[in-house]
Amino acid sequence: MALRNVLRTPASIRPLLLQPPRVLYHSYEHDIPPPYRDAESAILSSAIAHVPALGFTQETLTLGAKDAGYLDISTNLFPKGAFELVKYHLVTQRLALKDRIQFPGEQTGVGRKVRSLVLERLRANADADVVRRWQEALALMSLAENIPASLRELSALSDEIWFLAGDVSVDTSWYTKRASLSGIYAATEVYQTTDQSTDFRDTELFLDRRLEDLRVVGGAVGNTLQWVGFQGGALVNLMRSKGVRI
Amino acid sequence: MASAVPRAAKRLRLTNTPGYVCTDCRRAFAASTQPRLQQQPPPQPPPSQHVGQTAKTTHFGFETVAEELKASKVRTVFSSVASSYDTMNDLMSLGIHRLWKDHFVRSLNPGIRPTPPPPRPPPPPPQSQRILDIAGGTGDIAFRLLDHATTTNRDPHTSVLISDINPQMLAEGRKRCLSTPYHATNRVSFLEANAEDLSAIESSSIDLYTVAFGIRNFTHKATALREAYRVLKPGGVFACLEFTPNLANPVLNALYKRWSFGAIPLIGQLVAGDRESYQYLVESIEKFPSQREFAAMVRETGFLVPGDAEGGGWEDLSMGIAAVHKGVKPV
Repeated sequence: MALRNVLRTPASIRPLLLQPPRVLYHSYEHDIPPPYRDAESAILSSAIAHVPALGFTQETLTLGAKDAGYLDISTNLFPKGAFELVKYHLVTQRLALKDRIQFPGEQTGVGRKVRSLVLERLRANADADVVRRWQEALALMSLAENIPASLRELSALSDEIWFLAGDVSVDTSWYTKRASLSGIYAATEVYQTTDQSTDFRDTELFLDRRLEDLRVVGGAVGNTLQWVGFQGGALVNLMRSKGVRI
Repeated sequence: MASAVPRAAKRLRLTNTPGYVCTDCRRAFAASTQPRLQQQPPPQPPPSQHVGQTAKTTHFGFETVAEELKASKVRTVFSSVASSYDTMNDLMSLGIHRLWKDHFVRSLNPGIRPTPPPPRPPPPPPQSQRILDIAGGTGDIAFRLLDHATTTNRDPHTSVLISDINPQMLAEGRKRCLSTPYHATNRVSFLEANAEDLSAIESSSIDLYTVAFGIRNFTHKATALREAYRVLKPGGVFACLEFTPNLANPVLNALYKRWSFGAIPLIGQLVAGDRESYQYLVESIEKFPSQREFAAMVRETGFLVPGDAEGGGWEDLSMGIAAVHKGVKPV
């Protein structure tokens, strides 16, 4: 926050105003601070256990508060209500992804690792038994006041998957990869909510089709741009050979 | 021309200090008089002045008063505005204060919603929520809380204890209670107390502590916050609705200040015939700490402030004219 504003406040409360720095990258040296305080994670983890029965609602949150030893009124700790429960599920599953699946050897390629990670994350939804309540969660995430937070979580998940798959790109493909994976993951998760097959096999096939689409379309777009580039360069050289000063 | 301007009457010079004094000379003169002054004993305070030289002072609007006097001055202000409190609020905020209070109560969601009892284990003992409304003499917030609990959450057991430093405001509250459905029940009780000393209320007995538009009048806000922490049960919620000293937008802030200091005391004078009280009210808003500072005070008392991670430990209402601060007592 602005230094000027900090210096204007009385010295006794200045330390309280300085927020701890938020780490915006994967750091090997520094541990990321836990995303939730003890009281919050106690209530939310108790509440998540009731989601399969009661869904993502304020009642679930209240029940979780009572189970954790708090009062009904303590749900005021969560100003966004049921959406905080959805966000808790998203954050905890994203952070748990690295513990759920590891790649010991160097054999698998980045593409295959991405596929495995996406499937593992979807399997986590099934293990937590929230798949039949996930449409409620999607509805909450699509409310206007919740869209920024939801998109931030989706992009964080996409980044986490690429990081764990071993992506080391340093050009604009860093952005395009994450954007395309965000889209694919969102579509697959929505498909999963309607999937009735055993072990979500149809969802796996859906994911494979989307990744194939990405490969084909990405390849086609890349080739087209290359062709356009060659044609443009050829045109410029032709004009120069005719004496046009460009 | 200087001669055309009438000269002010010559003041009788009691000392022989010239109109202009060279700063170097003055410094030398001050240095030379220091040892002489220190040898004289300090002047004795007149015995009639009961405020000692070392008494602590606080602000009462833009005035500075002794701390012991502030509470009684606040009491006097609210005695004079008690009967026209609602009219005063309507005129000051153009009726928006009702929306703020409704939003405040709705976001707190008081009342224990009845849930179907679990089939196998024995049903939990019936619990009722106890709410303490501080500086809520006329019962604005208290009756809204009870209505929300009874109607929205179908909880007929929630009770509110209305506390105020001012007996006239409490009398107004009792009068209004008679026209609510709660007067014949034991759900509303009244207590005349200073928020900084709630010794009449036992520790860890309150579920929800609310203070709406009252905390800026407290002499020691930190003491009131500590008392709130004491009386609340673990898991209990502290909620404060209060005006903020500045809006976020500087242009709107300038307009808002013009309205506050220009129109409000005038309205007070015309409607209630009491300019000083309304002048005090707008000055006390100006002296209140900003949202960030107040959230820091709430945190320092030991409360967990919701929404801390995103940087906003409070909720602004009407572009920052009022703000809601909440804190949860950890278990």
